[in-house]
Formats: sequence, structure tokens, C-alpha cells
Amino acid sequence: MRIFTNNLRLFWDGTLLSYRALFHWLRPAQYVASKVFMPLAQMFFFVFLGTFATSAANAGFYIIGNAIQITAVSGIFGVTMSVGGERETGTLPYLFGTPANRLVTFFGRAFMHVLDGMLGVVIAFGWGVILLGLDLSHTNLAALGLTIAVTTLSTCGLGLLMGCLSLITVNVMFVNNFVYFLLLIFSGANVPLADLPNWMQVVSYALPLTRGIAAARSLVAGAPLADVAPLLWAELGVGLVYGLIGYFLFSWFEFEAKRRGTLEVF
Amino acid sequence: MNAIEIKQLQRIFKTHTGVIKRTAREVRAVEDVSLEIQEGELFGLLGPNGAGKTTTVKMLATLLIPSAGSASVKGFDVVKQADEVRRRIGFIFGGERGLYWRLTGIDNLRYFASLYGIDPDVSKKRIPYLLEMVGLKGRGDEFVGGYSRGMKQRLHVARTLLHDPDVLFLDEPTIGLDPVGARDFRQVILDLQSEKKSILLTTHYMFEADALCDRIAVIDHGRIIALDTPGGLKQHVADLSVVEVETFGASEAIIGGLRALPFVDALSVEETEKHQLLLVQTKRGAEAVPDILAALDGQRLGRVIVREPTLEDAYIRLVGGAV
Ligand SMILES: Nc1ncnc2c1ncn2[C@@H]1O[C@H](COP(=O)(O)OP(=O)(O)OP(=O)(O)O)[C@@H](O)[C@H]1O
Ligand SMILES: [Mg+2]
Repeated sequence: MRIFTNNLRLFWDGTLLSYRALFHWLRPAQYVASKVFMPLAQMFFFVFLGTFATSAANAGFYIIGNAIQITAVSGIFGVTMSVGGERETGTLPYLFGTPANRLVTFFGRAFMHVLDGMLGVVIAFGWGVILLGLDLSHTNLAALGLTIAVTTLSTCGLGLLMGCLSLITVNVMFVNNFVYFLLLIFSGANVPLADLPNWMQVVSYALPLTRGIAAARSLVAGAPLADVAPLLWAELGVGLVYGLIGYFLFSWFEFEAKRRGTLEVF
Repeated sequence: MNAIEIKQLQRIFKTHTGVIKRTAREVRAVEDVSLEIQEGELFGLLGPNGAGKTTTVKMLATLLIPSAGSASVKGFDVVKQADEVRRRIGFIFGGERGLYWRLTGIDNLRYFASLYGIDPDVSKKRIPYLLEMVGLKGRGDEFVGGYSRGMKQRLHVARTLLHDPDVLFLDEPTIGLDPVGARDFRQVILDLQSEKKSILLTTHYMFEADALCDRIAVIDHGRIIALDTPGGLKQHVADLSVVEVETFGASEAIIGGLRALPFVDALSVEETEKHQLLLVQTKRGAEAVPDILAALDGQRLGRVIVREPTLEDAYIRLVGGAV
């Protein structure tokens, strides 16, 4: 019981404090800008580009795709910083010198970003409705909320893996940008998956976001939750796989760093 | 039971140099170290740069896996029972890294408290107590990024005492502290010792080791070359006197000539901006002064004094060079 409450607290404190310690919302203005205006910029860019290239009737396709994809700002950038940032702060030896449960510590790093990511998507949908004429009148909003939550979780799973990779490769910014841009195209946010070459579609289905975006599009078009449930389960599964691979990589990293003496190399 | 037992500990690093043509190189950081540190003992580890002190401490702190040999803390093996060891140890590596600069001092401590699984009711009392103890009372609400170097080091001390560990590893804890801060810190170390904590301290300040440590090991090239009480180590040089000569710009050749004289047992040079201080160890005491001055003929000299040897002189004789 004591172990359980300890770990619960580790999860909670770790989640809040590490979020503030390793992510950048120290200045509220910065946070608001990244949360409110950054989604707007991305939505505008892809919606106008997309409708210009195809037809105005396709606006919804781009609005929904990019609104969901916004979750990667937290899920990839945020989570990666929350794991990979430990190198920069030089706290790894002190972190690994504690008996803290690594699984809880590791997944705790992502939690605030899950909330943060969902908020980002909601704001992006808000912009879609207010400025871009997105029609949600046929949408089961609770189901859409669930889709946002599931997709954010799975994206954070990939973020955890990326965070570990950045610990190992020591290049957080490169990893972040690479994955973010990869997702813009592979997730189907901006191109119908069917129009991608076959090998790209294979990659798409191995990534988080892809099924979540597809589910959101169906829901906005009026589909009931039951229709998209398989997509959501699969989305969750993909995220879990990435999260677990990330965790094993994290454990491996700790072991290797102690074996090779690279804990403080940065 | 001993607090720390080290048996034939060894650590070899494999490093690579060069980007295109990579050549592997081996650094034998710790060659063969065996030690026993008793409960409640304040044990000093001295040695020149690169001797293997930090590497030894890292292995004891479960942050580095030994290449060979074994070590245990409070009876727990540092590799096989790492978590048991971690619950019982605290450690600091001198310097200001290793804290979350974007958090306040208190939040740093809260985070580490949760990593150590400390009950919030306990940490609520312990954090202010520790902040006061390390002299950060009233500064805990500030962001660590705005702390001075000394304040960050003090916070490290508070961090490492959160879970009230029995065994402490302090690797150059007073490095970069101002004289008053360093003195305060030495007092903290003594207070901890009076609480029956076992402490392994590394330092380059000989007077500090002399004043604090029950026993001292001198380590060089990854091996222990002497192990004794401060008094015992000084016995090594009890038959010697030290002649200190202040010179201004004496050349290597002149100093080398002096070192070669038969009555000179050891010679070290402390360089400062303006002058050099030659520390000549000799059995001849004051009688050696005329010969020393003769060897320095033509040099500009400052003050010359003859004194009893200190721990530093014993150390210099052991490792044979400048500190
Ligand atoms: N992670 C590492 N990878 C490769 N070599 C290392 C590593 N850590 C230490 N070394 C090497 O091992 C040797 C011993 O280093 P160590 O840090 O233990 O010395 P030290 O006695 O603490 O010295 P100092 O007084 O300068 O702190 C040095 O030659 C150092 O370059
Ligand atoms: Mg060292």
C-alpha cells in the first residue's frame, strides 16, 4: 500500500514539477502564444494551401487533420523535452542515483503533456469553428473528445520514445523537428492516405495520429462512436507500443550509461 | 559491520578519438582499490587530478558499474542491490549542475523527496529544516537559475540529506565556495559526523582533510599509495623540514638544478601571478638554507622561511609533484 501511494505521489509530483522544470512555460505569455497562436498559424497555412490546391469544399479535411495533429506539439516537442532535457540540466546522475520506480518516473513525464495536448487540440478546433467555418452540428462531441484524448495519449507514447532517442543521440531539436514534420505528411493530416505511395501508407499505419485523424473526420461527418471504436483501440495500441519501447529503451539507456560511463556526457 | 567495503575495485574506460579514423583508447581510471570504511568514520580520499577519486565515488554511488572487483555499502552490493544502496546513501559531485534551474529551491527538494519516496508530512518539515541548516533560509522560493554557485552547492547538500542517508559521498564539496562558505560547510560536515553518519570526502584542500578526516587514503593512478590517520601520514615526513622560498620568474632549469641537489627530498612549486613559491623538503632543516640560496644565486628572491611539515608536505612527498 505504501509503495502504491509513494508511486502515485511520485507520478503526480514528478508530472507537475518535471513539466515546469523541463518545459518552457515559465513565462505565461510564451505559453499562451504556443497554445493559442501556433495552432492558428498551422491551421491557416495548411487550410488555405490545401483548399487552394484542391477545392474549397475540402476545407474540413484540412481543418480536422491539422487540429488533431496539433497534439504533437505537446506529444512530441513537450514530452521529448521532458525526457531528453535531463541531459542539459545535468540531473541524470542525481535522478539515476535515486531508488525511484523508473516506470512511474518515466510515464509521469508525459502526463502533463497529455492534458496540455488535449487543450491544444480543443483550441485548434475552436479556431476551426470560429474562423474557418467548421460545422460540428452533426458531431457526437463526447466521442470527438474521446478521440482527442486517445490520439494525444498515443502521440505522447511516441514522444516518450523520441525523448529516449534524444537522450542517446544528444540532439533533441533535430529529433523533434524531424518527427513533427514527418507526422504532418504521414499521419494523413494534409494528404489523403490513399494518395500516398504504398510504402508510405505502411509507415502511416505504424504511426500514432493516423487513425485518430481518420476517426475524427468520420465523427465530424456524423458517424457514431461505434463506427470509429476499432480505429481508437488501434490508435491506443500503437501509442502503447511506442511508450513501452520507449520505456525499455530508457532502462537500457540507464544501464548502458552506467556500463560505459556516459551518464554525464553531453 | 563496515559502512563501506571495497575489494579490488577496478574501472577501465574505453574511449574513442577521431571522427573518421576512430582509434580506441583505454583509460585505467581505477586500477586496484581495496578499502574498508567504518560506521561513523569520516574518511578522506586524496590524490592528484585524474587519480580515480570521482570514478571510485561513482561506483560506490551506483552510477557506474565496476570493470572488476566489488564494493558494498552497509552490506549491500553496489551493483546487485543498487536500490538498497541508493536508499542509504547521499552524494554530491562539487559544482552547480544537477539541479532544475527553472524550479525554485523548494520545488527542487520536493521533486527529489518524491523520487526518494519520502512522505509529504515528513518532507514538509524536513525541507525548511534542511534549508536552514545549509544557510538558504528565506531563499527557497527563488528560482535556482538565479542562485549563486555557492547557493546551488548548498542546495545540493540539502538535496542529498532529504532521505536522511547513513552514508555520504562528498566529492569536492567545497570547490568554488568562498572562505566563509567553505568554513560553514566544514562545520556542516562535522555536524553530520556527530550524527554518526559515515562520510567519504574527496578534496584537494589538505588543511581541510587534516582538520576533518579520521583517516585518509592517498590514491594515485588508480591505486592506494598510502592509508593512515592525518597524524600517521605526517609521520612520513616527521624527519623533514620544509624550506619555503619565494622566487620571481625562476626558470625550469634553475628549479631542476635545485631538485637534483642531494639533500633535497622533494620539491614542489606553487605558481601565482606574481611569484613562485618553492617548497623544498629536506632533512637538514635550516642548515640547508645557505645551499638552497646558493643554488638560486642570481635570482630575485622574496621571503624565505623554514617550517614544520604539514599534511600537504606529506602528500607532496607521496605523489611527488605539485598539488
Ligand atoms: N566517463 C569517462 N569516460 C572516459 N574516461 C573517464 C571517464 N571518467 C573519468 N575518466 C578518466 O578516468 C581518470 C580518472 O578520473 P577521475 O574523474 O576519477 O579523477 P579524479 O581523481 O576525480 O580527478 P580530479 O581530482 O581531477 O577530480 C581520468 O584519466 C579521466 O580522464
Ligand atoms: Mg574528481
